[in-house]
Amino acid sequence: MRVRDDVVQQYHLVPEDFVKHLFSTLVLVIVVVLLASLMFGVPEAAPLTIKGYASKNPVAFEQMALRALDGQGAIASYGPPYNGGSGSVQTRLQSAIGIIHPVNAATDFILKPLAMASQINPAIGRTLRQFRAATPAQQGAWESAYAAALNHGTYQHGAVVTPAGHFGPLPALMNDVLLLGKSGLMSGALMRNGSIVTRFDNQNYLLFLQGSPMHQAAKPLALTGERWGIIHPAVPGYPGAWWMTIPTWVYQWSFVANNAAADALALSIGFLFWLALALTPWIPGWNRLPRYLGVHRLIWKDFYRSHSGEPPASDEKDRKHAS
Amino acid sequence: MANWTSASKRMLGRTLSAETWLPTEMPEYAQGFMYMLGSLTASSFVVLVITGVLMAMNGPDTWSYNGTMRFVAATHFWAVQAFFFFMMLHLWRVFFTGAWRGGRGLTWLLGAVAMLIAIPTAFTGFLINGDLYSQWNAVQAKDGLNALGLSWVNLTNAGQMFGMHVVVLPLTLGGIVLIHIVQVRLKSVVPPYPELKDRKER
Repeated sequence: MRVRDDVVQQYHLVPEDFVKHLFSTLVLVIVVVLLASLMFGVPEAAPLTIKGYASKNPVAFEQMALRALDGQGAIASYGPPYNGGSGSVQTRLQSAIGIIHPVNAATDFILKPLAMASQINPAIGRTLRQFRAATPAQQGAWESAYAAALNHGTYQHGAVVTPAGHFGPLPALMNDVLLLGKSGLMSGALMRNGSIVTRFDNQNYLLFLQGSPMHQAAKPLALTGERWGIIHPAVPGYPGAWWMTIPTWVYQWSFVANNAAADALALSIGFLFWLALALTPWIPGWNRLPRYLGVHRLIWKDFYRSHSGEPPASDEKDRKHAS
Repeated sequence: MANWTSASKRMLGRTLSAETWLPTEMPEYAQGFMYMLGSLTASSFVVLVITGVLMAMNGPDTWSYNGTMRFVAATHFWAVQAFFFFMMLHLWRVFFTGAWRGGRGLTWLLGAVAMLIAIPTAFTGFLINGDLYSQWNAVQAKDGLNALGLSWVNLTNAGQMFGMHVVVLPLTLGGIVLIHIVQVRLKSVVPPYPELKDRKER
């Protein structure tokens, strides 16, 4: 027998109030949702702000800002769609789409915000001009030396202090970025669009914090990928996106987790799982599985009990409702 | 060549008829809680649309400083949970009953597509919430989309995500769910498997 015809032919129709059925389910959902909302409210984990991070982690903030400036940061070296780097390019397709959301981390995250701040404090402008006047090699030497020194940096009297070294204007420049971050004004400098006054695009704000600051905030909440983070909520005790369990599981597979193209691989394998589900009716063997699993016997227990004595339908013309 | 108008008239006549949408009889096997799961999923979607419209018309950030809107946001959050909860139960029920039999393959496929579309629909909602969860998910998930050549979907652009969440994805999802339900109504729910002993006798 073909799978499509593997159905009983004889059954009765019974009275039904369909509208009442629909209203009942709607009322049930409304009651459940209202009760849950009254009892539990909505989960909200306070966001990680630039101001908050700069205030609480001044040394780490400067380290992050310096990585944006020297091109070592994740976004500075990311590649398409943000820039010409290669640090986070997983597939050829990613490169082929090109740079459609351009980001120059040094300019957009650090130098432009400082140039704006220099309108208020001319001292920042002088430091900035000194940095810009240096050759790229000199800038690179200062950046390397200051990055090493920041590993021993401490926060004293409102500024980050490091062991002495040849850093050029960088300590002053980075402390200016820190002050800008602590002031809360950096968000405005990052979310800019000189052509319009609405601010729909918060890309640079999110990308600026996306590296170690976000990971530092996410780790205690078990939100990171290797800890099944996709399905975890940011507020413990609340349900998260548990419907993503299969892709999250795929991320745990060692050959996926250790692959340079882990995200592309995990999502692609997750899609294959979905494809197998979607094409169930046409996959031989798999499409007959439920019959042999026998769960349908529980679901249609009453039907099978009441029809256990009936003779089977014998031909095509019996295939109608025996109402 | 067939008359397109006549064919459309026949098809719409069946699809839009009160007989199709307001049945007064149901098959005897399609009774009980197991046969409420699809309606419960659709009802959750209705609640999502109502609460979502309330939030969209007030602005996506009002929940952060207005108590009433915070409550609406809570109802939207729990309605999402209800939607996926009932959808998954519905999926298990239709799988274990082999609901694709009897020429119902398209109904199954549409349900599977609806499930797939529901995932980014919910996800984009989380992204425009503006809390730590939004922030983390936007920067984490962007790498996967970029890698798959879908970088035009910029998860870190709240404006684009707002458009996706309140227009593009719910309209797509709603349309697919509607066609799925039309198929269910036109073809009815799948009858039980014949008993194995019946098949041997044939």
